[in-house]
Amino acid sequence: MVTTSKRSALLSYLVVLAFVLWVVMPILVILQNSLKPTLLIFTIPPTWAFWPTFDHYAHILSEVHFQQFLLNSTIVSTTTCLLSLAIGSPAAYALARLRVRGRAPLAFLILLARMVPAFVLVVPLYTAFVFLHGINTYWAIVAAHVSFTLPVVIWMMRSFFEDVPIELEEAARVDGATQLGAFIRVALPLVAPGLAASGILCLLFSWNEFLFALILSGRDTQTMPIGVSNFIGTVSIDWGGSSAAAILAMIPVFILGLSVQKFLVRGLTMGAVKG
Amino acid sequence: MNELTQKLSDQGPRLMRASFRWRDLGDSRWLGYWMVTPAVLALAGLILAPLLYSTVLSTYSWTLLEIRLPKPFVGLMQYSTVAHDPLFGEALKTTGLFVVGTVSVELVLGFLIALALLNIHRGRRLANGIILLPMIVTPVIVALIWRYLLDPQFGLVNYAIHLLGYQQDIPWLGSNSLALPSLIVIDIWEWTPFAILVLHAGMLAIPDDLYEAARVDGAGAWQIARHVILPYLSPLILVVLLLRTMDTYRVFDTIFVLTRGGPGTSTQTVGIYAYENGFVYLNMGYTMALSVVILIAIVVISLFYLRLLQRRPQW
Repeated sequence: MVTTSKRSALLSYLVVLAFVLWVVMPILVILQNSLKPTLLIFTIPPTWAFWPTFDHYAHILSEVHFQQFLLNSTIVSTTTCLLSLAIGSPAAYALARLRVRGRAPLAFLILLARMVPAFVLVVPLYTAFVFLHGINTYWAIVAAHVSFTLPVVIWMMRSFFEDVPIELEEAARVDGATQLGAFIRVALPLVAPGLAASGILCLLFSWNEFLFALILSGRDTQTMPIGVSNFIGTVSIDWGGSSAAAILAMIPVFILGLSVQKFLVRGLTMGAVKG
Repeated sequence: MNELTQKLSDQGPRLMRASFRWRDLGDSRWLGYWMVTPAVLALAGLILAPLLYSTVLSTYSWTLLEIRLPKPFVGLMQYSTVAHDPLFGEALKTTGLFVVGTVSVELVLGFLIALALLNIHRGRRLANGIILLPMIVTPVIVALIWRYLLDPQFGLVNYAIHLLGYQQDIPWLGSNSLALPSLIVIDIWEWTPFAILVLHAGMLAIPDDLYEAARVDGAGAWQIARHVILPYLSPLILVVLLLRTMDTYRVFDTIFVLTRGGPGTSTQTVGIYAYENGFVYLNMGYTMALSVVILIAIVVISLFYLRLLQRRPQW
């Protein structure tokens, strides 16, 4: 570790503190809006001291639409997460451990898949789902979401499987386990934290996704981000209500995100940076 | 039934343990292929097939309203239109400005703050935890937050500027010259944390003896950063550059929600332009041609970066 002079340590603290403030201020402002009585939101100068009210939260939570958005987002993101893990982890194991001809180019192609912009993919997917009568079903959105969570799961899980000492699997093979058995009974339990981390990242990515959900959803399947964007679109914005909705939508994201803090960098870099 | 019990008692435990074909499958030379097949099929169906479908349909002239009708074949005409489309040229330029503006600032700022984080000991974990928040917030909510902060009348940004003595309401997102810079600042808020966390992780992995050696040679803090940390981090800097370039090139959510490419076309990136052509003007054939061109461009850029990265084993 760098041993530093007192002055540069102080400077470092100031820099970090300034950046932390820059990061949290906007979030705190939204939190404040969500607790402010409507009349006090639009005062100049801004009102800093007020009795917090939970009216905006009560109002938003009682909205049928909002409940529907929450439910839809939960259904879509959990299905996306489970599907991606179920399809992605065997593939990741095979790419990490098994003899697959052309596995390097295959892994590379999967990496390239992450680079396809959503707005490029959404046009043909929309056209296809119109023909398949898939618009306004959860499956359409889940399928679209799997297209970008699956490459992440494969690359991330591959890096976790590579971290497992190969001797453990070899010992299981000596004891008579098949290769598949070694995967299911030895490797998979050992990467359980990685599995949880990848799953949570899938939940996050799917929960936050906007464009696919916007185009492929119908009245019954709109997710949270679509609901929030409706607030911004309207002429007179309900600042208190939309702030409360934003805070409510952020809570699960923050809990999930902080629970995988250790693996976040690894996930966002497709396993390249172990963090 | 009788036959089965007969068989079981004949072959006994061997058959039971063998659990039929599972054992064959579990040790097959083809196991690896079986295990990648579902993923390959899923990605082929969800990414490759739609892209091919787009490429084919881009040679027809059709709008969304004619989706079920026979479409006139026009060959590569749409592509020649793309090549001569001044609005697309402008969208490329806007996208380029956005990419360069965001990525350069995020990288430099990220490096400096990662360095500062390395220097502090107490509260580093806490700082890390707070810093990562913007990049996990739903992008649409990021847009909502900044919509309020930048509000000309009631936004805190203009209030702060009033306090500094400038008395006009600045229409940040509603002005031709300020909208793009505002969106760049929002992206910097959202994604500098990514650069910080990646580069900080890299700095922590630098072996202590490197610092020691540098210090023995009489290097100061600045020289250590310049000659020890920077070269060691160069692969990670490339990773940040690659991922941020890709992601800002295809930025959509925040711009769509905040300005829809406006005012005028001042914030119209290629993503917004493609979307508008497809889902507002319903020119599907043309949108698909645009998408193909946009995709080829991003693949070429990515391959260029990946070339540079090839010395790293994981990539």
